[in-house]
Amino acid sequence: MDNALRIKGTRSQVVEICVNDEWHEVSVRPRHMLVEVLREMIGLTGTKDGCEQGACGACTVLIEGAPALSCMTLAVDCEGKHVRTVEGLAPDGRVSPIQQAFLDQGAVQCGFCTPGMLMSITSLLERNPRPTVPEIKKALDGNLCRCTGYNAIVDAVLQASGQGVEPLMK
Amino acid sequence: MILYEFDYERPASLEQASAHLRRLGDSARLAAGGTDLFPAMRVANERPATVVSLGALSPAPPTRQPDGAIRIDALARLAAVANSELIREAVPMLALAASVVASCPIRHMATLGGNLCQDTRCLQLNQKHDYQFKPDCYKRGGAVCYPFPNNPPGTCWSVHLSDTAPALIALDARVEIIGGAGSRWASVESLFSGSGMKPLRLAGDEIVRAIVVPAPAARFGWGFRKSARRGGLEYGASVMSVALTAAEATQTCRSARIVIGAIRERPVRALQAEQMLAGAALDAETIAQAAAAVAKEISPLPHHGFTRSYIRDDIRVKIARVLREAADRALGADGQKGEADRG
Repeated sequence: MDNALRIKGTRSQVVEICVNDEWHEVSVRPRHMLVEVLREMIGLTGTKDGCEQGACGACTVLIEGAPALSCMTLAVDCEGKHVRTVEGLAPDGRVSPIQQAFLDQGAVQCGFCTPGMLMSITSLLERNPRPTVPEIKKALDGNLCRCTGYNAIVDAVLQASGQGVEPLMK
Repeated sequence: MILYEFDYERPASLEQASAHLRRLGDSARLAAGGTDLFPAMRVANERPATVVSLGALSPAPPTRQPDGAIRIDALARLAAVANSELIREAVPMLALAASVVASCPIRHMATLGGNLCQDTRCLQLNQKHDYQFKPDCYKRGGAVCYPFPNNPPGTCWSVHLSDTAPALIALDARVEIIGGAGSRWASVESLFSGSGMKPLRLAGDEIVRAIVVPAPAARFGWGFRKSARRGGLEYGASVMSVALTAAEATQTCRSARIVIGAIRERPVRALQAEQMLAGAALDAETIAQAAAAVAKEISPLPHHGFTRSYIRDDIRVKIARVLREAADRALGADGQKGEADRG
């Protein structure tokens, strides 16, 4: 398949991106990053735009199942790809087990890092359904949280993976 | 958010990408994972008129060649390198080095070739917001060096911070490079120029296609350590990598390669310490002497808040542990591990 493409910087290109199992046609310029397209064109503002240099992880989404920083991914490079955002974790308005575990453990304070955390954890649990604490910390090394001190987040992952941590709040 | 418009090329093959780079010259930059280039473009450290994206190309899986060498596509993501069964079994030092780069999402985006070909960094270059109203430094075409004001023009003491390059140099890996004249082979060691202004010895249209790690000799041992503050999402104060082979049926070292990364414009080899180890017994005394020799012969640049003397002391202590690890692995088959100097 010859999928070569050339776009002038001042021109837009219509690309199709599948976000949370729904195909979107968006008109983007080369400089548009995926996070801008998700938030400003598609309207999914769950994904947060933080440091824009790969340090905070607030913009983490899953591209073809792998965690990726949407602030450092060109939207045109996502043509034809499947992207999952935090909105995709609760498609019918019911929270997923990992979201419920975050609520149970008090792993959310200001909430800015939470969407990125949830996507990193979703990817981890898909690869490794019963991660150990070091594995959880390794998978979350790209997601900064300035409120919780991480312990509650690690507990939430242990709860969601059924590893003997009881809900703190019922 | 990148605040200026640039053109975009998405070639369908590496050959096409090389042709684009040849046509566009210095105004184009290659993006594989993009984790080095796009943050630099956001703060206007890089302002390419065209980005040539390798986003449409997918890497071939790593393979074992007939001679036992492991061939890894340069576009292999670092997470794939770290998790590959073949690489973990055949080149565990590289798998470990790939697993300590940056953070989990970055390891899933960034490529092994890109990790080798990343730009050098310094606190001034990469903290543009502190310097945005000041003239550019030498590396950006200006006439001043902020961190080292006495540097003559054309001298840039930015640091190459790759974690995988020291491991690949210690393993004597080679890279296949494609360009206008077809493909050529070079050692990873010769890929680096040692100049902070232009850290790589690659022509404008050359692209690293694959990395080949030779099969280890008998009684091979390795040691690797990234010295860092937190252990996640940061650059190393130094990256230490050792590969050595023990002589047959003895406790002596036949040859050693000691590579220290993240201290200069390129990963550096500690040649005097390597010579000291060759033919010497792998005991606590030799290792302590070799570690002192490493610390003496390197000339680290201060970077990311680490002073020259801190880096030197840090390396002297930790390279001894890395050497011990490598020696234990090399001698391990004999069951005679030297545990004496473990503390």
